[in-house]
Amino acid sequence: MRFSVKHEVGIAGIILLATAVLTIAVPDAPSQAVNSNSAFITVIALLIIFFGALLYLHPKKAQATADIFLIIAVVMFLWEVLLGKLALLDPFIFPGPARVFRVFEIDWQQMLAGVVSSLEILSVGYVIALVTAIPIGLYIGWKKRLFGAAYPIAKAVSPIPPTVYLPYAIVLLPTFAASSTFLIFIGAFWPVLVGSVYGVFSIDPRLINSARILSLPESRMIQRILFPAAMPSIFSGALIALIMSFITLTVAEMIAATSGLGWYIQYHHQFANYDRVIAGMILIMVVVVAVMYLFDRIQAYSLRWQNTQ
Amino acid sequence: MATIDLQNISMIYGVNGTRHVALESVNLKIRDGEFVSLLGPSGCGKSTLIDIVAGLKTPEHGTVLIDDEPVTGPGPDRGVVFQDYSLFPWMTAFENICFAIEHTNGNLTRKEIEERTEAYLDLVGLRAYRNSYPNTLSGGMRQRVSIVRMFSMNPKVFLMDEPFGALDSLNRIYMQDTLLHLWSGGEEHKTVLFVTHDVDEALQLSDRIAVMTPSPGRIKEVIDVPFPRPRCRKTLSASTEYSTLKSHLLSVLYCEMLNEIERQEKGLKGLA
Repeated sequence: MRFSVKHEVGIAGIILLATAVLTIAVPDAPSQAVNSNSAFITVIALLIIFFGALLYLHPKKAQATADIFLIIAVVMFLWEVLLGKLALLDPFIFPGPARVFRVFEIDWQQMLAGVVSSLEILSVGYVIALVTAIPIGLYIGWKKRLFGAAYPIAKAVSPIPPTVYLPYAIVLLPTFAASSTFLIFIGAFWPVLVGSVYGVFSIDPRLINSARILSLPESRMIQRILFPAAMPSIFSGALIALIMSFITLTVAEMIAATSGLGWYIQYHHQFANYDRVIAGMILIMVVVVAVMYLFDRIQAYSLRWQNTQ
Repeated sequence: MATIDLQNISMIYGVNGTRHVALESVNLKIRDGEFVSLLGPSGCGKSTLIDIVAGLKTPEHGTVLIDDEPVTGPGPDRGVVFQDYSLFPWMTAFENICFAIEHTNGNLTRKEIEERTEAYLDLVGLRAYRNSYPNTLSGGMRQRVSIVRMFSMNPKVFLMDEPFGALDSLNRIYMQDTLLHLWSGGEEHKTVLFVTHDVDEALQLSDRIAVMTPSPGRIKEVIDVPFPRPRCRKTLSASTEYSTLKSHLLSVLYCEMLNEIERQEKGLKGLA
């Protein structure tokens, strides 16, 4: 009998249910004991609901969804058995899942505030970078002479990690939010700029000719022709910029913030509270996955004209 | 209403120190409302010539006059249809036509523009595809949109660079008929310069055919196509006059091809 998606989903579901039963029925290792397992059980239930809904809503992607579901189920199971129940590794720095998810139950307000403050800084810096880098990049790509000067400069400056500017940013700008917004802007600016310039360069000259026939004024040419034509390349730059922004943000928060995702990990790290460090890492993962999903949707919509069917 | 006057056009491409003469002193006068085809094998410079008339390329020597005014750059008085790159892929069929009208008839209201666009889409039976992106349309449909888009710009001159070159033969015949139908249906005949390498296509469509030969690109011969319009494809291709013209055209092209092969062989021997 073939091993179908249905079997795979069934096995993953059984593994998760077994994990839940195990959590409730078998006592934790004494070093991993936690006063409530309910958060972990809730997470297991949420995972089943979430993947069930994904499979139902996107049957086309069922194979990949089922694979990921199975991997997560196995990870949860092994985590619970090896660390939670058997405590095979040092329980101090390798907490079991029940302890880690319990943190979400206790700290959720602080975590939510952290997500909000991080995303606020991230989105402001990122959007400013997009709004400035795209028009400048399109214009540089369009004007060959500007390109000759700008591209070597961009190449030289862009590999400098944005966090290098942190000391200046902190001294020169009034608040932490302002200085980290600035860092994210710097980090996101270059990849978007390079993506935009490259996007203009890679436009099929025949399309440019088609546009020249209409003798468009320069501003219309940039808005209606260069911008959409360069869009695929702008999106690849924007994706790199987004990843860069996350790294910059968490590093900046670890150094100088009083709230946020990076700060949460750094703060609890100081107290060697590894339950919270790991919970913070999981939180960042969830936020990144959600933001990336949003990014993918925007990209798919903006480039819908590329699909050939 | 416009005349095209090509005066002594030469074009030279220099690639890595080598000089390739794409066009050598090309002269051609096209009358108002005339349909002229440039017929020739690839590499004879016919597309370059269209680009020069469109103002996309500047010739090494010579000038192009449209209604006695020299061409200095591209302009909306000359509509162009390319083989498969005329439409903007990020705009729907409807938006492509709207965009062209908007930028060539500055004083229309949004509503008027949209009404005209609808009418043009109806004209080629593509109303149902108004919100489709070019990538989702077939090659024939895309060219229908390109052609009505050119009509919608209401230029003085139509320049068409192998517009049906990428289509299968049945679609091509259908598109030729559509083009003639639209062209003769207007209040006035536009002046058309049409590039093709298909002898039958040139004969079916044109008033005159300029046969071009490569290396260097020149007009070897200009022949009149005396068949009255409207033309009937079937009776036309069965007539002896048609076959005589066709075999004449083919022999001119063929003779040039044999010469070219001979030249290349000599060149190879010279190298050896």
